Amino acid sequence: MRFVLAFAIGMFLAILEASFMPYFQVLGVTPNLVLIFAASWAMVRGQDEAMVVIPMAGLLHDLTTSDPLGTSVLALAPILVLAAGVHLRAMDTDFVPTVLVVAVASLTYGIITMVVLSATGQRIPWFDGMVSAVVPSIVVNALFTPIVYLPIHWLGVRPTTRILGPGRITTAVTAKRS
Amino acid sequence: MRVIWWLLTVIAVSGTGILLSERRALDPVQNTTLRVAAPIEGSLRDIASPVNDVFDGITDRGELVRENQELKERIAELERQIAEQQDAQQRVAELEAALGVKQTRPEDSLLAANVIAEEPSGLKRSIAIDRGLSDGIDEGMVVLSGSGVLVGTISRAYQDFAWIRLITDPESAVNAQINLTAAQPQATTPSAPTPTPAPATTPAPTPSASPLPAATPPANEASAIRGVAAGDLKDGLVLDLLPSDVAIGEGSLVLSSGLGGNYPRGLLIGTVTDLEQRPQSPFTKAKVEPAASLSGLDTVLILISFVPARLSEP
Repeated sequence: MRFVLAFAIGMFLAILEASFMPYFQVLGVTPNLVLIFAASWAMVRGQDEAMVVIPMAGLLHDLTTSDPLGTSVLALAPILVLAAGVHLRAMDTDFVPTVLVVAVASLTYGIITMVVLSATGQRIPWFDGMVSAVVPSIVVNALFTPIVYLPIHWLGVRPTTRILGPGRITTAVTAKRS
Repeated sequence: MRVIWWLLTVIAVSGTGILLSERRALDPVQNTTLRVAAPIEGSLRDIASPVNDVFDGITDRGELVRENQELKERIAELERQIAEQQDAQQRVAELEAALGVKQTRPEDSLLAANVIAEEPSGLKRSIAIDRGLSDGIDEGMVVLSGSGVLVGTISRAYQDFAWIRLITDPESAVNAQINLTAAQPQATTPSAPTPTPAPATTPAPTPSASPLPAATPPANEASAIRGVAAGDLKDGLVLDLLPSDVAIGEGSLVLSSGLGGNYPRGLLIGTVTDLEQRPQSPFTKAKVEPAASLSGLDTVLILISFVPARLSEP
């Protein structure tokens, strides 16, 4: 059921990104809602679910853009590693690490997309691409993170959350460390 | 270890997908997805457009008032030019008929299409339309805005949908020219001189009078400066490979030259906004403001009567 929900949200965000969001560009770029969704899901719901949701989100993104099918699947893959890395740090909230993951993932996403497009014979101006598209997307995606993160956060807490001690609620990170 | 296996699997699967996609094996999948998504995307764009207009109206009111005044003055000027050009066109047609000259665009046949999506990645400039191979369009065909200004070419056609590469895309290059006799420096106004608006969504039959802008060819070849209008991620559109001693002013009209045979001659591309001359460079560059508003296009026209050279090759 949760994957059906993830599919529905991912599809809606992919369509929204290609149709609605280009009217509201910030710094000349459209926020990558699917990337923010994949990163938020990986941070809130954990690695097991992220292993399914990240490729699914990438596929949905590719289906609504002109990129070769598989580009976004590949470009979103680092999110899993980034999310796992950030989880190793002790934090009482998922939000700040999610913003961090979104920002770094935007950079890796842009670079991998440019590599794939170049490999498939498309002319990609690397310097202009980095300056005009990739770097602004780091800021813009980070700014739009709350819009996608908060609904996912409200939809359900991470399965690994524990109650330790007399009524003390801790996050999963705290639970692992203790 | 599990993450490594997952990464390897994702790399293998996505690599296979990219290869299959490049070989056009996955086109039916993308066509089906667009068929499902198109109605939703169309509705969302219908909502976004007026909302965006409201925001723009609030934030740019002062500029809009000033621009409105400029446009009114420009319309008056253009109406006068149209009247003159209609007379000139009539005379050209009579002379061509008398001399037996083959007309390059005797009658333009256009097909209207709705824009359903835009490429969200900032690395490309593309839009998706609700027309495809089944409607008689093919990759390489020229696409115009509703007012007949050059917008781009069909870059990828599916059965019922297609992606258009805009002239501002880094891969786009159009052989262009500036007619010196027609170059009239003026305030930079991106709006196109448009005789009549095009029909909304239905296929446009071959009109007897072309809706394309009346861009009269130069009186002689020496009076035109030629270059290449190339897409640029940073500047939008750049007219490159101009002679170093070029003398053109801001506001000069940039038209397609027809060289190479991939675009018809005389299509309006935009206006020169800035000239970049470097002492050591053998060529001059000029920034060009596209005549068509390429973001927020709702309807485009596909020029189906013109067969680009890349399509007519064996």
